[in-house]
Amino acid sequence: MRAERLLAPLPGLLFLALLLLVLEWAVGEGLIRRALMPPPSAIWEVLRDLLLSGDVLPPLAATLRLVLIGFALGSAAGVALGTAMGWWGAAYRLLEPLVEMLRPIPKAALVPPLMLFLGIGDMMKITSVALAVTFPVLVNTLQGVRGVDRVLLDSARTHGWGTGRALRHVVLPAALPFILAGMRTSLGLALIIAVLSEMLTGQGGLGFLILDMQRSFLIRQMYAWLVILALVGLALNALFAWAEARALHWQQRQ
Amino acid sequence: MSEAVLARPAAVSLRLRPSSGLLLVLGLLLLWEISARTGMVDSPNWPPFLHVLAALARDTVSGEIPLLVGSTLARMFAGLAAGTLAGVAAGLIFGASRLVRRLLGPTVELIRPIPIPAIIPPLVLFLGLDDAMKVTVAAVTAFFPVLTNTAQGLRAVEADQLAMARSFGVPAHRRLLRVTLPAILPYVLAGLRVALALALVTTVVAEMIAGEQGVGHYLVLMQFAGRAEEMYAAVLVLALLGYGLNRGFVLLERRLIGWFYATGRDG
Repeated sequence: MRAERLLAPLPGLLFLALLLLVLEWAVGEGLIRRALMPPPSAIWEVLRDLLLSGDVLPPLAATLRLVLIGFALGSAAGVALGTAMGWWGAAYRLLEPLVEMLRPIPKAALVPPLMLFLGIGDMMKITSVALAVTFPVLVNTLQGVRGVDRVLLDSARTHGWGTGRALRHVVLPAALPFILAGMRTSLGLALIIAVLSEMLTGQGGLGFLILDMQRSFLIRQMYAWLVILALVGLALNALFAWAEARALHWQQRQ
Repeated sequence: MSEAVLARPAAVSLRLRPSSGLLLVLGLLLLWEISARTGMVDSPNWPPFLHVLAALARDTVSGEIPLLVGSTLARMFAGLAAGTLAGVAAGLIFGASRLVRRLLGPTVELIRPIPIPAIIPPLVLFLGLDDAMKVTVAAVTAFFPVLTNTAQGLRAVEADQLAMARSFGVPAHRRLLRVTLPAILPYVLAGLRVALALALVTTVVAEMIAGEQGVGHYLVLMQFAGRAEEMYAAVLVLALLGYGLNRGFVLLERRLIGWFYATGRDG
């Protein structure tokens, strides 16, 4: 059983290796122009140097910082506002029109105005990421909180639980699958906005480097950084899926 | 932005009776107006809201904004169409064949999490700065959500329905057309709703980063030129586009798959 699970991704990985070999061959034969797509082995050399010299770390840390801080702040704001709007009718009536107005703005479009006010530093980038993260989390939290079983709430009240306790022990756990689904959507958006804001400000981590390398015609370097970014995306998604499965273990068992 | 697939589109009603929420929005706009006019916020980046509206009206009447919006939407929809077709086709193959899933799965999983703005620089190398690159960006954006949802939908098609069609002697191509495709339509559309919101973002992002086309480029150009009124007007246009596209899609969805919600199968 265990061996079978370990072997399951093997055909897929072999296919990927085959794909890279074909690419290597096609570039070698001149079927693909080397200026556009260097052979995978050349990209690997750059990648290896970046990894071994440790040069990969500063840009990687810069981008991860943006994504993680922005994601945390945006998720916290989304959960807080969504819970308030789902729980108190007055909060819903007060905030709903504003949320409906701000939500459809493609958050990428807010990066240029934010640059005017907050400059091109981390403050601006983290704000952009947090804004993009907030709304999907807010909408899902709202839906989750509203969908809580009335019977559960009534029995909490019967036991004399106050609002705080009911929110913490009944409402939030029940809304958790929704909240996490919103956060999963937002994680992808957070990466998009982080990379975009690095590109537009012309400074910072992985996003800036990919664009800068292309503009400097350092094509192998561009692909190497792109691979690193892909691995970051893969790792963040996997980490989130793992955390989600742990947080929702009770749901799987039902 | 999009909510998760899990979330059904909220029925948004345009209520005009005065509510606390409407008052809050009006109050904030008023605060914006006053703070800009009285010099509370004394910055060339903070024009009065009415000036933004005036700039929007001016550039709309002059035809500049309609032209930009048209070109952005044309590229976005071309990309969406191509990406959706490819996504449905790939999703059907993925959903139907365990072998294909196992062979191609890791490659897809490796490519999918790359944030779209990052694929723009290599695409520029291959396709240049103009339409071909931007349409491809929108297509790639649409491809993955549609692929995932189609494959998921295919697995959710009830085996009973297929078995019945088979025992009535319905040939395979008609089974695909009459049973499978209608059954997976709600899933495809759910993927498309996610893709639609994302494609607007990525198309605009591509316009911001490369070339000189569309609303995205206009937005960045106005920022560099220090013309804040036009810049905010462009943000406003994009907000309206985002809202309009989502509303339009919800209406379309209700027409196409009203039966799906009516039979309560979305729970």
